[in-house]
Amino acid sequence: MPLFGAFDPPKNGVHSLGPMQQIKTPMRRYRESEIVDYLIVGAGSAGGVLAQRLSRAGFRVVALEAGPFWDTERDWVSDEKGSHELYWNDLRITGGKNPLALGANNCGKGVGGGSVHWAAFTPRLHPSDFRVHTEDGVGVDWPMSYWDLKPYYELLEREIPVAGPAWFPWGDPHGHPYGPHPLGAIGDVLVRGCTRLGIRTVAGGPVAILSASHGDRPHCIYRGFCLQGCKVGAKASTLITHVPDAIAHGAEIREYSMAARIILGKDGRAEAVLYFDREGKEHLQRARAIIVAAYSIETPRLLLNSACRGHERGLANSSGKVGHYLMAQAGNVVAGRFDELIRMYKAPPAHALSEQFYETDPKRNFARGFAIQTVAPLPISFAKHMMSAVGAWGWGMRRIMMDYNHFATLGVLGEILPWDDNRVELADEKDQFGLRVAKVTFNLHDNDKKLIEFGKRTVKDVLHAAGAKVVVQESRYAHLVGAARMGQSPADSVVDKFGRTHDIANLFICDGSIMPTQGSANPGLTIQALAARTADYLIAQGETIFSSNRRAMEEPRIRYNLSPPFTRFKGNPRLA
Amino acid sequence: MKKRDTTRQNAASSDPIKRRAQPGYYPEYSTMAQQDYWDEATRKTVQSRLAPPPSLRFFSPDEAKLFQAIIDRLLPQDDRTPERRIPILPEIDKRLFNNTLNGFRFEDMPPDREAYRIGLKAIDEMAHERFRAAFTTIGPYAQDLLLKSLHDEKPDPPHWVWKRMPVHRFWALMLQDCVDVYYSHPWAWDEIGYGGPAYPRGYMRLENGLPEPWEVDEKPYLWRAPAGSLSDLDFEIEANFEQDAEHGSRGIH
Repeated sequence: MPLFGAFDPPKNGVHSLGPMQQIKTPMRRYRESEIVDYLIVGAGSAGGVLAQRLSRAGFRVVALEAGPFWDTERDWVSDEKGSHELYWNDLRITGGKNPLALGANNCGKGVGGGSVHWAAFTPRLHPSDFRVHTEDGVGVDWPMSYWDLKPYYELLEREIPVAGPAWFPWGDPHGHPYGPHPLGAIGDVLVRGCTRLGIRTVAGGPVAILSASHGDRPHCIYRGFCLQGCKVGAKASTLITHVPDAIAHGAEIREYSMAARIILGKDGRAEAVLYFDREGKEHLQRARAIIVAAYSIETPRLLLNSACRGHERGLANSSGKVGHYLMAQAGNVVAGRFDELIRMYKAPPAHALSEQFYETDPKRNFARGFAIQTVAPLPISFAKHMMSAVGAWGWGMRRIMMDYNHFATLGVLGEILPWDDNRVELADEKDQFGLRVAKVTFNLHDNDKKLIEFGKRTVKDVLHAAGAKVVVQESRYAHLVGAARMGQSPADSVVDKFGRTHDIANLFICDGSIMPTQGSANPGLTIQALAARTADYLIAQGETIFSSNRRAMEEPRIRYNLSPPFTRFKGNPRLA
Repeated sequence: MKKRDTTRQNAASSDPIKRRAQPGYYPEYSTMAQQDYWDEATRKTVQSRLAPPPSLRFFSPDEAKLFQAIIDRLLPQDDRTPERRIPILPEIDKRLFNNTLNGFRFEDMPPDREAYRIGLKAIDEMAHERFRAAFTTIGPYAQDLLLKSLHDEKPDPPHWVWKRMPVHRFWALMLQDCVDVYYSHPWAWDEIGYGGPAYPRGYMRLENGLPEPWEVDEKPYLWRAPAGSLSDLDFEIEANFEQDAEHGSRGIH
């Protein structure tokens, strides 16, 4: 049989990450009595990059991961329902005027985290995103600029690597190291509809999916199961891009380790993390510094659950802002029925977009904007869209689903501003470990509503222009970020521009939760770029992090020698 | 939006719905015929759905009978020959017995298990109040009438449970659980012409909705819901129309 022996069952003792890549070196194991340099909570998008960078720089690193260390050949399937375990399925409570659906909608559980099931669109934020208060009088400015992050975008686009057009015209225009993907029928619909309306598009990316083979990773086979974990290994996740290199450099990834609380020492510095293993047994791992990278819900939850004497409101929460300014992007799904067949299950769901409406337009009655992107739900998800969009049930559900192959779906990806009342708190209910679960509250505000209205109207127009005869839509949300935001002032933010908490000098936060605003770019690439920058900062600071409360604020020198194999100096000739 | 002409519809659909081993517009198409080309983990997962369903452990026999009658209207399969009907109830029973969660609960909802227990009971009590008989015995039309009142968020007759538990959330819970099972079954994939698993072979015909060599072309025919059913779409699917829905319920992106 052809193709890398992937028809055979996984062999015992081999840890497969895709059909070709395997973890060959035994992973280093630290004893609990050992004090490591960095303890990272969460081996996801940010945690994977941090572990890789810090271990390559010679630090002793342990990453705690609440879920399993996936063997992709054994654990993953080309099946929608069979991929349930990729998501964070433990209880969370959701409420507010516009309650967010959680579960499959957001973070992962398992090494690689959400990057295992992201659609892998990888646009950058725009320079304007870092100064929305200055430019538009809404939200808040970042304590750093686009130009501070730009070299890390360039670096990560090569490490992941990103496939896309040679010229991406919006924000800070740039190209991509791997060529764009061929279009599936939904990409064709987006391009056709937008072109007829004079809306500029890019196609075939930018996505973190290989359009050509790369090291020990094959190129995309267009099977369309991106959101179910890419068995092919063509779609990037930190599980396959950064974690193997972290392990090769001595990092330990400790699976099934659910962090319960961060323990402080007598000196007021972070000292250890208490966590539970799969059997519910308690463990303590000591470290000289701790980085929380657990997602915009679990990160604030851990800080709040770590309340102790002197930190009664939770750790790093002297501002009272831990959990606040949670954001989600508007993710309205608009489906159009075409006379001709579409078969949208083929090709990656993410493969064409427009950012023409990204920036504030004074002619509109709201600040900021949105992107238009391809979305291609598989049958179960599409049936659920139709429940909401047209109230389908019974024979109507059967009938509209028989037309599944005639539908193309596009998404609004809209910027919702940071609001104090959108937040993560602790509920009274407890999980299987006896830890209080998160309660998420979400309300839309006036600007958000106007933006969503305009966005969905625009995407409907695009589908009609492409030739759809029937257009329906469902309101939903995607991509949670915020809830432990960075800022200059300890009075209204949780961390500084490098992710260091204002309150505790050796406690860092590094994931999407530190983002003060979100733009209308999918956040995955930005989260990984922020992690690489924080790693450079920590490496530049060296021993100071472990022994001193001094807080240096100068930008670190970018290190080009920390990339995983096969990725250095690829592509863009502007890169050093 | 162009509303469907229901007089024409009802006149034309007075015949009982035709039973087929494989409804839908893709005759002879079979995803399972391709299973030799799937990886082993996927093959096992999909094959398990064709195995005899597990016995019930969460629902009592009476609850099971009631819920089966509800499922038969939420996702009717009268057009399928009996041996090709997709078992839905046992999978939902398994989820509730194992208390497998989907990652969240709305703050105004009780836990899933409790929601099912009180929701099913309420539906049966509504049937007793409105039709003086158990839900299982009132026939498809009356069952549709009652369920449609939940779908429309105007429970008729009213019941105290819907003050404690928002009816639209319970509706979504039941129907989502049903579509999770139905549309994960390879026979449903055959019905809608979905390509199914494709690793390690992949797809190669990406544009213009063209079939892979092992897929088949669509052969559409005029499809009608049975006469008197209330759950068909209330619009012409081929006509121009727009429809809006607030509150999404689950998501991906």
